[in-house]
Amino acid sequence: MTKKYLRMTLNERFQHLNLFINFTLLVITGFALKYPEAFWVSPITDVPLGMTFRGFLHRLCGVATLTLGGYHLLYCAFSDRGRGIIKDMIPGLNDAKDLWQTLKNNLFINRPAKEIPMGRFNFREKLEYLGLIWGTIVMTGTGFVLWFKTEWLAYFPMWTYDVARAIHFYEAILATLTIIVWHLYSVVWNPEVYPMSWAWITGNLTEHEMKLEHGLELDRIQAEEKELKEFGKAAAAGGGRVYPLFLKREKPLSLRGIVGAVKGMNETMKNWKGT
Amino acid sequence: MKQREGANGIRVILLGMLALCLCMGLTAEFAWSDNSLCLGCHQDESLKKQDARGRSISLFVSEAGFKGSVHGSLSCSECHTGIKDDAHAEGGKKAADRKVNCVVCHREAEKEYLKGLHSKMIMKGTERAAYCNDCHGKHNIFPSKDPKSMTHASKIGKTCNRCHSDLEFVKQHALGAVMPSEEFKKSVHGKTGEMTCINCHGSHDLRSLIDPKSTIFRSNIPQTCGTCHPEITKEFTESIHGVLAGRGRTDSPTCTTCHGIHGIKAKVDPDSPVNERRIAKTTCPQCHAAERISKEYTLTAMQVKSYYDSFHGLSYRGGDTYSANCASCHGVHDIRPSSDPKSMTHKDNLQKTCGSCHPGASENYAKGKIHSVASISGEGFGEKVVGWIRVVYIVLIVTVIGGMTFFNFTDWLRKTIDQKP
Repeated sequence: MTKKYLRMTLNERFQHLNLFINFTLLVITGFALKYPEAFWVSPITDVPLGMTFRGFLHRLCGVATLTLGGYHLLYCAFSDRGRGIIKDMIPGLNDAKDLWQTLKNNLFINRPAKEIPMGRFNFREKLEYLGLIWGTIVMTGTGFVLWFKTEWLAYFPMWTYDVARAIHFYEAILATLTIIVWHLYSVVWNPEVYPMSWAWITGNLTEHEMKLEHGLELDRIQAEEKELKEFGKAAAAGGGRVYPLFLKREKPLSLRGIVGAVKGMNETMKNWKGT
Repeated sequence: MKQREGANGIRVILLGMLALCLCMGLTAEFAWSDNSLCLGCHQDESLKKQDARGRSISLFVSEAGFKGSVHGSLSCSECHTGIKDDAHAEGGKKAADRKVNCVVCHREAEKEYLKGLHSKMIMKGTERAAYCNDCHGKHNIFPSKDPKSMTHASKIGKTCNRCHSDLEFVKQHALGAVMPSEEFKKSVHGKTGEMTCINCHGSHDLRSLIDPKSTIFRSNIPQTCGTCHPEITKEFTESIHGVLAGRGRTDSPTCTTCHGIHGIKAKVDPDSPVNERRIAKTTCPQCHAAERISKEYTLTAMQVKSYYDSFHGLSYRGGDTYSANCASCHGVHDIRPSSDPKSMTHKDNLQKTCGSCHPGASENYAKGKIHSVASISGEGFGEKVVGWIRVVYIVLIVTVIGGMTFFNFTDWLRKTIDQKP
C-alpha cells in the first residue's frame, strides 16, 4: 500500500469547495454583465428577470465568499493547524530561488536538472494563496462601493465610483486568468497530476507526489515518524487520517448533531499528532 | 348638406319644368328625364364599349343599386349632362365619353379637391390619379356614414388601397411606402377601427409630403398628431427636438421619427421602436450614435457608447428593464438640453432625477460626469484616473499572466520531455 499524506482536512476541503463554487459563480455572473451579448450569457439574458437574478446571485456569492474569508481568518487564528498553515505560508527568499531554479531546470540551463526540495507550501502555492488574499480584499472593497453606491456617494465624489468599477473589472480579469493559467495548471494540466490532482476531494497526496513538490516537508514528516514510536506505521498506513471521516449516525441528523460533529472534528484536530 | 339641398332645389325646378313640358307636349325633353329609357339598354350586363386604347369597358348600370344610392332619385341626365340627343340612344356615342361633373352640386368639395394632390396629378396627366368616382363610386354612392359607402370609416382603407397597395401602381408613381395598409392594419391606430387614412392625410384636399400646407409635411406632423394627442404635442413642441423640428431642421425628430409612420405600435409592444427594450438600442442611437448628426450638432457619439459601457447600459443590453435607459433620465417627449433649467438633466434637477431610482441620492450624484469615457487624455479628472488604472492593469495583466503562461509552458514542456518513454 502506497503511503498517503494528509494535505487538506475535511474542513479545508469544504472551504476549498465553497470557494470553488462561489468563485465560479462570481466569474460567470460578473462577466455576464460586462459582455451581455456573448453567446454563453444567453441562458441568463433570455430568461425574464435574468439580469436581475444575475445581480442578486453575484452579490449573494460575494457575501458568501466574504463569509468564507472571515471563517478562514478565524480558522487560521484559532486552530493549531490554521496557525501552522499561516506559518508555512510566509514567503521567503527561498521561494524566489526555487522559482528561479525550476525555470532553469525547465529551460535545460541546469544540466542535469537539479532536484529542488520544497516545503509544505511551495512557491506556486504561496503565490496563489497570497494572490487570493489580495484579490479578495480588492474585490470586496470595490464590490461594496458598487453595491452601496448611494451610501458611498454621500461622502465621496462620483469619479471614485468609476474608479471602483474599473478596478473591480480589471482585477476580475486578473483573478480569473490567474486561476485558469496558474491554479488549473498546477492541479490539472501539470503532466505529473493530469488528469487531476485528487487532493481537493480525497485530501491526500501520495508519497511520490509529496517527493516531487514538497521534498523538504516529506523529509520532515518521515523524520517525525521515526521519533513517534507509538504512532509508527499504523498512523501513516492509515493515510495520516487520524480522525474518523464518516461517523456512524445512529440518531437522525440534527442541528445539535452537526454542532457536535464540528466540535468533535476540531477536538480531533487539536489532538492530532501525526502529519 | 348645402349641395344636397341645392340638388333638391334643382330637382324641384326640374320637376316643375317636366310638368311644363308635359303640358307643352315637348316629348324629346321628357324622354331624357326618365331613367327607364337609359336603363332599357344599360341594364344589359353584356353592354360594353371599347375605349381609345381598345380596352373593353362595361356599360352596365344596376337599376336596384342606383335606386338605393344617395343619388337614386336623380335622373341620369342630371349627371350625364353631355348626352342630350337621340343619336346616343340609337347606337352613336356622341359626347358620351365626357366625364360626369360633380361640381354642379358639390362645389365646396370640388374646391377642396382642386387644392389637393390628386387633382394636381390629373392636371399633370397622370392617368390613374383619383377622381371623384375613384373614391366615391359611380352609381352606387352612399353617404359616408352609411356602412355601405366606399368612404365609410370601415371601407376607406380598402378604397385607398385599391391603388396604394397595388405594387405596380406604387412603383410606377414612385410613392415609396409600399403596402402602407399592411403596416397600418397591425398598428395601434389601425386596431381601433376608427382611425383611417384620412384622419392624418386629409380627404379631398390631401396634399403631397413636400407641400408645406400638407398635414404630413415634416413640421406639421406634431400638429397632425396633436389633433388627438394635444398634451403630448404641447410637451414635444417645447422640447429641444420639437423646437428644432419646428424651425425646419429636417434631421431633428418629429413624432414619426421615433414612433414609426403607418405601423405605430403601443409602447408595450416589443416591436414598437419606443418599447423600453428598443429605445436605447435603436431609437435614440439612430441619431445620437450617427456621425451625420453628431458632426452637425457637435454632439459626441460617446453618449451612446459610454451609456452602453455603464452599469445601466450593460444591464440594459442584457435585458434588464429596471435599469435606466435614455428616457429614464432625459425624459420622453419633453427632452431638453442639460443647460435648460427645466431639463431633467440640468445640474439642479439631477439629484431628483437620480433619486427617482436611487432613493437618498446625495448631491454628489449631480456633480459627477455620467457619460464619462475612460481615457488618459480625458477631460474630467475621473476619466483620467480611470484611464490610468486601465493602463496600469493592462500592463499588470499582460506581465503577470504572460509570465505565468511562459513559466507553465516551460514546465509543461520539460515534464512532457522527461516523461517521454
